[in-house]
Amino acid sequence: MLLQLNNIFKWVTTGGQRIFLLKDINLEVEEGEFISIMGPSGSGKSTLLNVIGMLDTFDEGEYNFMDESVHSLKEKHRSNLYKQYIGFVFQSYHLLDELTVKENLEMPLIYKKIKGSERKAMVADMLDRFNIVGKKDLFPAQLSGGQQQLVGVARALIASPKLILADEPTGNLNSKQGEEIMELFKQLNEEGVTIIQVTHSEKNAEYGSRIINLLDGRMV
Amino acid sequence: MLINHLKIAWRSILKNKLFSFINVVGLSIGLCSALVIGAIIYFDFSFDTFHKDKDRIYRVTSLFKSGNDEFTNRGVPVPLMQTFKDGVSGVEEVAPFMSANFSKVENKSQEVILKNVNDGIFADEGYFQLFDYQWLAGNSQTALSEPAQVVLTKNTAAKYFPKKSPTDVIGSTLVYNDSINVKVSGVVADFEKNTDFKFTDFMSMSSAKMFGEKEIATSDQWNNTSSGDQLFFKVREGVDMAAIRSRLDALAKEHKNTAAWAADDERLFVLQSLPEIHFGGKSGDYPFNNSDHVASKTVLTSLSFVALFLLLLGCANFINLNSAQALTRAKEIGIRKTLGSSKKQVVRQFLGETFILTVLATLLSLLMAPFLLQQFSEFLPSGIDLSVLYSMQGILGIILLVTIVSILSGFYPAFVLSKFRPVAVLKGQFTKGDKGTRLRKTLTVFQFVVAQVFVIATMLVTKQLHFVMNKDMGIKTEAVAYVRLPWNDKSEVKKERLFSQMEKIKGLSKVSWGGNPPTSNNISSTILTYFKEENEMHQETEMLWGDITYLKTYGIPLLAGRERLNDSVKEYIVNERFAKALGFQDPAEVVGTFLKMDSTQIPVVGLMRDFNQRSLRSDIKPLALTGDWGNSNYSSFNAIHFDLGNNTDNWNETIEGVEQAWASVYPDQEIQVEFMDELVEGFYRRERSTVQLLKWATGLAILISCLGLMGLVVYTTERRVKEIGVRKVLGANLAQLNILLCKEFLILVAVAFAVAVPISWYLVQEWIESFAYKTELSWWVFLASGIGMAVIAMAVTGARTYKTANINPIESLRNE
Repeated sequence: MLLQLNNIFKWVTTGGQRIFLLKDINLEVEEGEFISIMGPSGSGKSTLLNVIGMLDTFDEGEYNFMDESVHSLKEKHRSNLYKQYIGFVFQSYHLLDELTVKENLEMPLIYKKIKGSERKAMVADMLDRFNIVGKKDLFPAQLSGGQQQLVGVARALIASPKLILADEPTGNLNSKQGEEIMELFKQLNEEGVTIIQVTHSEKNAEYGSRIINLLDGRMV
Repeated sequence: MLINHLKIAWRSILKNKLFSFINVVGLSIGLCSALVIGAIIYFDFSFDTFHKDKDRIYRVTSLFKSGNDEFTNRGVPVPLMQTFKDGVSGVEEVAPFMSANFSKVENKSQEVILKNVNDGIFADEGYFQLFDYQWLAGNSQTALSEPAQVVLTKNTAAKYFPKKSPTDVIGSTLVYNDSINVKVSGVVADFEKNTDFKFTDFMSMSSAKMFGEKEIATSDQWNNTSSGDQLFFKVREGVDMAAIRSRLDALAKEHKNTAAWAADDERLFVLQSLPEIHFGGKSGDYPFNNSDHVASKTVLTSLSFVALFLLLLGCANFINLNSAQALTRAKEIGIRKTLGSSKKQVVRQFLGETFILTVLATLLSLLMAPFLLQQFSEFLPSGIDLSVLYSMQGILGIILLVTIVSILSGFYPAFVLSKFRPVAVLKGQFTKGDKGTRLRKTLTVFQFVVAQVFVIATMLVTKQLHFVMNKDMGIKTEAVAYVRLPWNDKSEVKKERLFSQMEKIKGLSKVSWGGNPPTSNNISSTILTYFKEENEMHQETEMLWGDITYLKTYGIPLLAGRERLNDSVKEYIVNERFAKALGFQDPAEVVGTFLKMDSTQIPVVGLMRDFNQRSLRSDIKPLALTGDWGNSNYSSFNAIHFDLGNNTDNWNETIEGVEQAWASVYPDQEIQVEFMDELVEGFYRRERSTVQLLKWATGLAILISCLGLMGLVVYTTERRVKEIGVRKVLGANLAQLNILLCKEFLILVAVAFAVAVPISWYLVQEWIESFAYKTELSWWVFLASGIGMAVIAMAVTGARTYKTANINPIESLRNE
């Protein structure tokens, strides 16, 4: 088992009233799964994804990731944990504007303190695999949205994470570009990477092996 | 990792060109002033630091107390030198010496003549034992043991004996003051490092008599102190200085002046350690008679504060802009954190960025430094340069400075940025709750307080300077000048010849004999005794010597009595202050009284109007004018004063006439025409340099502050573009929007003004205390400077707010 959420609650207090963002979430994810999280706006999809990605905290419950209990870890350990095992893909790509494609890909490796020569090899590998060798010296602003997201996915993958978290990865793309990204995810999943995506689109959700529906912070 | 950081730092610097520019320029101005001022301070602290055992070398100086007045003299009475030579317990070596001016030095064999050699001293072998000179020729033990021996420095030897090596010079003869034959007995290397010991001709002490100077061994003139008579000594290691001090106190007491008028006076011998000498005596006098520069610790302290504040202003800019920019960098940090960057790494990255900017600023400031130094060259000692910045110490200092500045200005922004939580940033929940606002406002207020204080201080100091330079001194200063007769040519015949020739020059409306001009830095005073109802009254009185036309030449009116009968009759004309000091209600009553000087009774025949005898720092003092009768050995009339008349057109011609007359009488001497208006201006040299410095500091402070303000305005308006758009759609007009945007900044400037007023009032008040005549610290100066600042701030903000307010709302509201 890759990760397990037990009775997760998350709330904010406004005017003395608790508003629940996540309510009693129980979820087990096995390695190799491809899960789609669906639900209307404000139902807590992104929050759940961020909790799983350890970017956000929760107020109650237990979270075990690869037999580590995340809820009792210090921030530094948590960051080490996700640095090692999780890759993120965002709706608006979130590439670093000041860096070229190649340098963007290199960034996570630097933070993992991988040696320069090794980094080069891995980046070259990834550029090859995603067919973007010709674009390696361009800056994000010089790429189309689809290409940027491709780089985004490549960057998420480069450190060979066990889990990829994607927050509406096709939200800013046209249907053709979106389809390509989803095909890519499917292929990656077949190669053994676990994927959890948040999506609005029924069609994209179909790519997953399991669909989780959220409403007002609760799994339905 | 490092390369990556530097790379992204460099790119983000390029991306935010305006901000980077403001940062770098602001910082480099601060750094530049810090470097230049640092070099100036280093220069003054580097004097005479190279002497062996410098911590054990002391100079004895004299301190006189008379009533509430205290004044110092860097010299000592000559007999004290002998006392020390005879041995004082705890003292290891003694070096007495006397300053010497030689009117002429001649090397007859090579026909070399040098006039007015003023860097000579009479010294004995003790001098060379105490101060470690490198001997190029001659023997340090015997070189000064006989009369008529002189040791030269290498450069001087080369001047007197062109093309001869030091060893060839030994034994050659030089003729001093036309008739004294002296043998060169040694050549020493000049000190290469900064030093006040700039003596060139070391005449043996035993030659003093040949030059008509005092003799150490026989003199008993305990009450005669000349600033040229110097006494240095070195104490034994671990000696109790208190013992030496009490011995000096005892000596001072033992040889107290026994004259009746000196009953209340006190004299002390004060020790000055070698490193202190460069900073002058208690009353700020020069290190030696031949020094042309004295360092002032007050000036250096003020300079350091100026540098510190300009540097802090630059840093404040940095913190301000970078923490303001944090928002635009937030996304990047969010991404970095999701990619696994730790807080520490973010901090390091931003510190690195600051470091790069600081290094850039430093390079820029090194380029600007020579220009800034040049601005001050007028009132800086010669020999000061920036080479110290490129020395080992200088480079280490700069590296230290860069590091401190980077940390100071980079730490807060880096800290703020690293605290961002990625999820909040990436969700875009970040736009509200901008926590650094208060800090940024505080920093902006700080910047404007500094700038405002500089502005007010500059205006007030300028006002005071204008006041003292234009205040009526009570004498005519326009078109009046004098020439001083050569001190080494006492011929009465020549004097008379020059005077009668000058009388014939048409352009000169008045020509008078006299001593010092009525207003000058050279004041002699004496004690006059007045019998008041059987009581003796001793009145310290400043003395002027002049013939019967002297007062007319300087336009000083007689208020009562008459002019003296002739130039040499024993009669006094006194000023009103003198009459008041003697207790006359009506000053005119002083006419007809008798004053006793030494044993002679002298009548007061006239009363002259008060005028300022010195700069307006000092008050008017009791004064008496008299003719030339005091001393049979030499004339008190050593200058010819003249009025150039009102016709400015032929002044040049007239001056030429004076020069010709001089040349025909004293062909060997150079003429120096001293103009009274220049003399008066010269009183305020220091004040004028203060104004110059303040103007620069003010300009730079305003510039940095405005850069900072501009950065802040750009940032704020950018953030409020959407708000402006909404307001415009709702019907706000341009003026309303501008006021809305400017208001926030003007409030800061107003707060700064409120803080700056009392600070600057206090500082200027302290400064102006040193003047007897003060300008008013008028409220309008404060108000004007405040309004001026507000206008500048408006101009800086206005340009930007106008642009923002003009943006079409469709543009600003379209995205999102």
